[in-house]
Order: sequence, then structure tokens, then C-alpha cells
Amino acid sequence: MFLDTTRFGKIEIDVDTVITFTQPIIGFPQYRRFVLLPGPDNSSLHWLQSTESGEMAFLLMNPHLYVPDYKVELNTHDMNELAVETASDLEVFTLLVVPADPSQIRTNLKAPLVINTRQRLGKQIVLEMSDYPIQFYLSRHMQEARERKEAINARTDT
Amino acid sequence: MLVLTRKENESIMIGNDIEVKVLDLRDNQVKLGIIAPRSIAVHRQEVYQAIQEENAQAAVPANLEDISNILSK
Repeated sequence: MFLDTTRFGKIEIDVDTVITFTQPIIGFPQYRRFVLLPGPDNSSLHWLQSTESGEMAFLLMNPHLYVPDYKVELNTHDMNELAVETASDLEVFTLLVVPADPSQIRTNLKAPLVINTRQRLGKQIVLEMSDYPIQFYLSRHMQEARERKEAINARTDT
Repeated sequence: MLVLTRKENESIMIGNDIEVKVLDLRDNQVKLGIIAPRSIAVHRQEVYQAIQEENAQAAVPANLEDISNILSK
């Protein structure tokens, strides 16, 4: 099927790759079907493009790049809703917010998107019991990681 | 808005399978217990609203040039 998109022009997508969200992304009840597309060049990102609106697309990242021990626990209801057979069916992404000021680039660790890539089902899960922030600023943590590394280097120098 | 007065350990039913119970009242706080099917998502309202607002921000990615700088290693 062909899709007219704001960002990528007219693209052809395989109907079998369309992901259906069992629950809408919070605040967007009118969009339930999306496809995953490669993100901007040289990035490890993905676009989540709506097949119901060419303008509607989210940028997704793999949260483990910044938070290696990031953990999402699904209850049995979520597992059933997403028709999960094995954990390896699942991919976890977080939504990126990319304002004009790069220091404000952030991702939402509190409410990741969980996608069953085999069954093509997805859902935004709210980690109600976790301390993960809704606004996790990447630049701040990049700097932290760099400072940590510099501190270690300084110590080994003396 | 429907307004009901409840004491500690009293509850209300919403439909047939959602119960909200007042567990504790002290220091200007009320502790609520919610019994609902797993299919019903229960969120603190301010968290739900903050996620909704952040999702709306995520729907308008503006500055794509700086992304590669931050997310390439």
C-alpha cells in the first residue's frame, strides 16, 4: 500500500509490517496503526509513522543506549493483550522529544512503547510503580557519562 | 460531578467490577485502594496528564540535525 507522508513523501509499505496498537498512545486515540521506519541518518533511531495520517510520526529510541539497566515489567494482562509468547518477541522503545534547543532533547522513560514484533501489536505502558522520569534529558546524561569518565581518568593520572 | 461522602473503610462501586475503597485518612492525605480488572489502567491523574503532554511534544520532532550528534557514539 502507498502512504502519503509529510516527512518521507509518498512511500510504499508492506501491509504485513503494519503494527496495531491495542491501546492508543496516550492522547492520540484516533491513531492505532503505525509502521516502523529507519530514523534520521547516522542515528540509531526509528520513526513510528502512522498509516492513518501522513503527518503523524514519532521518533523512537532504544532506551538501553542511555540506561543500560532499563527495565520494563509487563503484567499478565499486558502479555495477553500483546499476544506475547516469548520475551524475545518484544521490543521496547521510548518516545523522543526533540525541541529546537538541543539541550532539551529528552525521552520518556516512564511510558515506553512495547511492541510485539512477531504479532505486530503494540501498546504504551505506564510504569506506574517505577521512578523513571517522564523527561529524561539526554544531553545532561551524556555530560554525566563524560564527566564520570574524566574523573576516572584524572584519578588514574595522579 | 457526583459527590459522595465516605468514611474510612467504606468504598464505592463504579459499574460492576471497579471498587474504590478509602483505606486511610490522615495528615491531609487519603489512601485509596482500587480493585479493578487488569484491563482497566489506573493512573495518578497528574502522571497521566504529564504523559499526555509529553506525547504531544513527541509528535512534533523539530530539530533533526542535533539528534545525530546526541545519539551517535
